[in-house]
Amino acid sequence: MAANRNPERVEVCIIGAGASGAAAAKVLTERGARVVTLERGPWRTRETFGGDELANVNRYNLWPDPLLNPRTVRTDGKADTREELFCPVPQMVGGGTVHWQGWLPRFTENDFRFHSVVGDVPGATLADWPITYDELEPYYDKVEWAFGVSGLAGANAFESRRSRGYPCPPMPMSRYAEKFHRGCAALGWNSFPTPQAALSRPFDGRPATVVSAFAQQHGDPTGTRSSALNVFVPDAVGTGRFDLRPNCYVREITLDERGRARGAVYEDAEGDVFEQQADLVILACGAIETARLLLLSRSGRFPNGLANGSDMVGRNVTFHEYSAAIGTFEDPIHAWAGGGYVSASSFQFYDHDESRGFAGGGHMAAAGVGIPLPINWSLPDRPAWGAGAKAVDREFFDHTMAAAMVVHDMPQHDNRVELDEEVVDAWGLPVARISLTPHENDLAMGRFLIDRNAEILEAAGATRVQRVYIDRITGNCSHQHGTARMGDDPETSVLDRNCRAHEVDNLFVVDGSPFPTGTGANPTLTIMANAWRVAEHIVDTRNAADTRAGVPVGGR
Amino acid sequence: MSEHAGFFDAQQRATVEAAMARIIPTDDAPGAREARTIEFLDRYLSGIDFIYAKPDGSGFERLEGKRAEAWRRRVDILRERYRTGVEALDRTARERFGEVFAELPDEKQDEVLSALEGAADAEQEARLERARMQLYGAPVEVALQQTSAEVDLEFVPLLALHTRQGFYADPIYGGNHDRVGWDLIGFPGPESLAEVHSGRYSTLEYFAEPPVHPGQED
Repeated sequence: MAANRNPERVEVCIIGAGASGAAAAKVLTERGARVVTLERGPWRTRETFGGDELANVNRYNLWPDPLLNPRTVRTDGKADTREELFCPVPQMVGGGTVHWQGWLPRFTENDFRFHSVVGDVPGATLADWPITYDELEPYYDKVEWAFGVSGLAGANAFESRRSRGYPCPPMPMSRYAEKFHRGCAALGWNSFPTPQAALSRPFDGRPATVVSAFAQQHGDPTGTRSSALNVFVPDAVGTGRFDLRPNCYVREITLDERGRARGAVYEDAEGDVFEQQADLVILACGAIETARLLLLSRSGRFPNGLANGSDMVGRNVTFHEYSAAIGTFEDPIHAWAGGGYVSASSFQFYDHDESRGFAGGGHMAAAGVGIPLPINWSLPDRPAWGAGAKAVDREFFDHTMAAAMVVHDMPQHDNRVELDEEVVDAWGLPVARISLTPHENDLAMGRFLIDRNAEILEAAGATRVQRVYIDRITGNCSHQHGTARMGDDPETSVLDRNCRAHEVDNLFVVDGSPFPTGTGANPTLTIMANAWRVAEHIVDTRNAADTRAGVPVGGR
Repeated sequence: MSEHAGFFDAQQRATVEAAMARIIPTDDAPGAREARTIEFLDRYLSGIDFIYAKPDGSGFERLEGKRAEAWRRRVDILRERYRTGVEALDRTARERFGEVFAELPDEKQDEVLSALEGAADAEQEARLERARMQLYGAPVEVALQQTSAEVDLEFVPLLALHTRQGFYADPIYGGNHDRVGWDLIGFPGPESLAEVHSGRYSTLEYFAEPPVHPGQED
């Protein structure tokens, strides 16, 4: 390291340029801060994306390659660990938003006080959030309007207060969305067009989104979907205060003599190692990798990992679980159209209801079956090969859809991310090891929601319905939260209400790690809104300090 | 993509092609043979020159650095699995029916494939099950993402996966000849990768009629 000349110190160093890191970079740079972001993956442009199912879904063109970035999993504290690409997220500028279709529901008021609403659940470590829905609402609004989210305000009967509507009307209605609406209507249940990170009409100088079949798990060659890559990164670059360095893999967060964060040690594409020093360090690596980086950053002061005197880093991890009831219809559904996720949703069974016998609920929505493209589409009972398999493809590919759900899995003390003791990645660093046991509440909720989904499909006229219950948490949502909880008590949380580490006062975390509970809804809108909130808090605090010190705003 | 050296020798190629024809058989509609899935696979195993098509369809990406290393490792593992898999097909065929696999009638080829499939011990089966869950999205659960390691698959499931990929992938990879795979299932794929890349490919015509939500009809 000493052989290399370190880059100039900056005000803020962000680790990770995905949804949360890019949101924070946009807000900080627009408000005058100089920011360096270190992103381990490439900075890909839209010209590098295409309509290629094989490359994108099957050959790790966007997914992390498990030979380079393995993870290990054990289903409880005792079982053998195995290598598995658990809960992957693309590692590149834009992160998961590069290849998503962006379902962007808001959480509800009760999500922020879930423990108070449902009470104690044996075995679960429930906690209320230290912030309220009302505190986050202005930031939901900011993200929705920055992205140009397409949706219909008021259509979700269970949504909490919103200060204004969506910037764009809902996306066009797919046939699978139509079936879902029809089924819900027949049952007397509320449904609404899924708010989406796409433009139903031109917005803010950007053209309407192209409705391709190559969308879910594909990058966008047209640049018309809404993502951190397409929206926040250009905004930050436009300020002239943003230095985004791709292919820079952070190995450790360093400390100064006072025990504050000094900066980040990183390896660039050539394998050279540098230290980027900063007044303030923000972690935005996703809940698994943020926990891993904290645990990798050991020192005399923090022998068990940075900001981990409480032994809470990596614990209470939640992942959601995605599964579905699958319906077959006489008429073609074309559930590959639009990529399979231009959808309809219901929060009918989202809020807690004591009478169901489990805590909480989840988001239900229409979709294609899995990745509903020719290679990766399948049905639960399709044979692996032979004439039978061919017949299933031929008869059902165009006639099936999913009514899917997101399970709100319960946080548990021993469900955690640690460093593996044996397996290292292609850079020689210990990989994340995930220990995970499903809670019985998770499985009961899954059964309940999938049964309701089956009823929707039946009410919509499906001729055959298959229920795919969950029996474990596989990380198949790529949603990850809870490994660095925010809370008011340093004994039971890693971060304070502003996502600043209790133990390191210039270290912040803005991805899903701070979430005390995972909720039953897709998290990225809330992750971005919270990152925006934290970034504004950082600038406001800094400006207040500067005012006291006589430094003009933006004058550093 | 004109001439290139594939991986298989003539005998291996004939054996794998015959096996693929049992994975997706030809009936009143084309199967693996007509889709030329063997070409897809032989090209895949030839090295790392055909891993990713360029997104505009103008050729293939040149891989470098750690990415290239990972793909070399993966292709080596897969080659070995095919080498031993082809041997096992012929050995089992000879043991049971006294002839090499490619010479057997369809039903006997199916028996050989089933026998190899069933030969996996309990541990292999468990590994297979996990991979199947994520890789195929079937049969145990519907995966939102297919991210399991291809290299963990045993020979028969691997062959089934590659046959399926060769049948349904974009024709630029050498299979799905004349789009027979897409036509079979009614997928109106793009004319070419360039059509998607340029933004001309839209599936809006396959949406609801009219494609608007209740209350939004104007």
